[in-house]
Amino acid sequence: MLSLLVVPLTAILSLCHGFSEHGTELPSPPSAWFEAEFFQHILHWTPIPNQSESTYYEVALLEYGKEPWRDIPSCRRTLEFSCDLTTATLNLYHNNGYRAKVRAVDGSRHSNWTSTQTRFSVDEVTLTVGSVKLEMQEGSILGTIQPPRPQMAPEGNTYEKIFRHFRQYEIAIRKVPGNLTFIIKRVRHENFSLPASGEVGKFCVMVKPSLASRTNKGAWSEEQCIVLSKQYLTVTNLSVFTSVLLLCGALAYCLALQLYLRHRRKLPSVLVFKKPSPIIPVSQLPYPEMQDTIHSLIEEAFPKVSPELRNSDLHGSTDSGFGSAKPSLQTEELQFLLPTPHPQACGALGKGVPTELQDSCSNGSHSSTDSGICLQVLNYGPGPGPTWEQQVEKASQGQDDSGIGLVHNSEGQPGDAQSGSTLGHVSLTRPEVLEEEDPAAVAFPGYLKQTRCTGEKAAPAGCLEEETPLTGDLGAQFRTYPDAEADWPPPALAKGYMKQDPPRVTVAPSGSPTGQWNQLPAEGSFLGLTNSGDLGTSDWSFIHDLAPLDCVAASGGLLGSFDSDMVALPLISSLYSNE
Amino acid sequence: MKVQRVSLWLLGAMLILCSVHTHPLRRCWISMDMRHVEESFQEIKRAIQTRDNFQNVTILSPLGALQSIKPLDVCCMTKNLLAFYVDRVFKDHQEPNPQILRKISSIANSFLYMQRTLQQCQVQSQCRCSQEATNATKIIHDNYDQLEVQSAAIKSLGELNIFLAWIDKNHQETSAA
Repeated sequence: MLSLLVVPLTAILSLCHGFSEHGTELPSPPSAWFEAEFFQHILHWTPIPNQSESTYYEVALLEYGKEPWRDIPSCRRTLEFSCDLTTATLNLYHNNGYRAKVRAVDGSRHSNWTSTQTRFSVDEVTLTVGSVKLEMQEGSILGTIQPPRPQMAPEGNTYEKIFRHFRQYEIAIRKVPGNLTFIIKRVRHENFSLPASGEVGKFCVMVKPSLASRTNKGAWSEEQCIVLSKQYLTVTNLSVFTSVLLLCGALAYCLALQLYLRHRRKLPSVLVFKKPSPIIPVSQLPYPEMQDTIHSLIEEAFPKVSPELRNSDLHGSTDSGFGSAKPSLQTEELQFLLPTPHPQACGALGKGVPTELQDSCSNGSHSSTDSGICLQVLNYGPGPGPTWEQQVEKASQGQDDSGIGLVHNSEGQPGDAQSGSTLGHVSLTRPEVLEEEDPAAVAFPGYLKQTRCTGEKAAPAGCLEEETPLTGDLGAQFRTYPDAEADWPPPALAKGYMKQDPPRVTVAPSGSPTGQWNQLPAEGSFLGLTNSGDLGTSDWSFIHDLAPLDCVAASGGLLGSFDSDMVALPLISSLYSNE
Repeated sequence: MKVQRVSLWLLGAMLILCSVHTHPLRRCWISMDMRHVEESFQEIKRAIQTRDNFQNVTILSPLGALQSIKPLDVCCMTKNLLAFYVDRVFKDHQEPNPQILRKISSIANSFLYMQRTLQQCQVQSQCRCSQEATNATKIIHDNYDQLEVQSAAIKSLGELNIFLAWIDKNHQETSAA
């Protein structure tokens, strides 16, 4: 009996099991949640384990506080675990939220519903930006943030209207060579500017939106990069360039004007041998740089030298310090030769080959930059010597010296030689040279042309105090000069050239010339030759450095000192002897 | 001429009265930082709302009651809702989880501070309630009473985000203005 009941019971039980599997066999999805951005609401769920290919999921949606649940048929797709519910949740930003639930379906079987754990509300929307535009303007990066503009958003539901207040953005900037990112600042507007501070290169910017009054999360935007380069054509640079250009133009104009005015000047009187001009006060004398200026002295202002010295040979040097052409010797008869001093010739003089000087001096001026005085040693020895010649015209040919050139005088004067007067017959340039001197050009205080050898002693006292040291006899020679200072008469008008000091040195025709010699420049020191004692040929170069000697030599009174002190004469004689 | 003067005087008086009437509302607004309250709620939102089994019923927004409140009734409505939560919801809810309880307590303290701020406006007669505001408050209490106490309390706690969003919207606009 029991065996007969087992078979039907088994059949009944199997049928009942089949019915139950058809309703609740499938497991429900473990979880379901929303992932939403602005008007992009996606429902996600995890799939059920061991699902088949025919398994799909059903989604239902409920607006909180309203019935019933709405089925979303568009979500019934196989093997998909998410569904876009934006269309069904357009009122999210104006209501109290939604609830959604999901279940798995496979054929006739379905699972239980799985609801989202929280009500889907506006708080769960992740904020994003639509785009970021960057541009460079005057060294700064200007950024414009564009809020999202989803197509699903109904008209009038813009980001700015829904989130009306307290919108803010975090800005992060990164320089491309490197992964170091800096969050520069937080702005409360859709426009921002980042100062570049002179940086160049590629910069990338990211933006993350947020709301100050809400707890919504924000997502970083995509990187937008911009290349910063040196901007040269900025308004500031153009204005600076224009101003500099105008300034340069003004300077060029002024320079051209000055050059034009300079060209109009006359040649220095040294180059133009004309009648001597009257004595020019020292205050009117120009600055020492103009070495070519020759001033004439009033002959009467200088004492006459002794006849011996008058006709004695004068030493010459290669500089313009021909003041050593003593005023006493500077008579009208005395004419200093003014050939162009040949540098080599002057060097040759130093080597004791004065014979070469004659040729050089006679050849006229050269492009020398010295005083233009070209010495030619008198030949007091047995041999013939060069002759002093009057070379007036040749001294003014473009040389920038005083134009004084001394030429050897082969007319030996034993008497003078014996007396130690080795001064050759020096020919001075004619006074006419001074006539055409441009006062402006006569700025050189180095030489004061003397018209006559006054024969009086000069007062070399002051110049002896010059700082240039003298050695040996040379120094001793000059020590005697202060003695003559007391007897220094007013300088008389004389021909010739007397070396002058810088503007502070005054050449007063009637005044005592002592003051003149107190301040003499250090250049052109040939005059020291005339007063040095035992200068040999090797001392020529040394003489150039003897600054105070110039004044001594230039003084007419010095000539007078030669009367009493013929120490210079042995020097010249020694020079001649070396030849 | 006299009629014009009288009409102008009356118009000016009306404007003054309107400004005086609305002025208290504009001055009576909550200036505290609501972010702290919102962050505390977000941390317990999932735990609270999961336990709400009556998704088709709402307490605070029946038929959009809160959405229909006028600006003049914002102060009154805010005061009434703060009293609802402090006097009924926080007291009726029994929270077993201590961490959730801590967060709920923090929210309750913030509501007490907001009540004190609004009481100053009430003392100055700047927070008067209209009939509409009174009716909306009554509906909320009725909805709360229709549910079982625990369910009503948990649902009311779950709807805190609705209340906070409404406060933020109305008082935020006032402060921004």
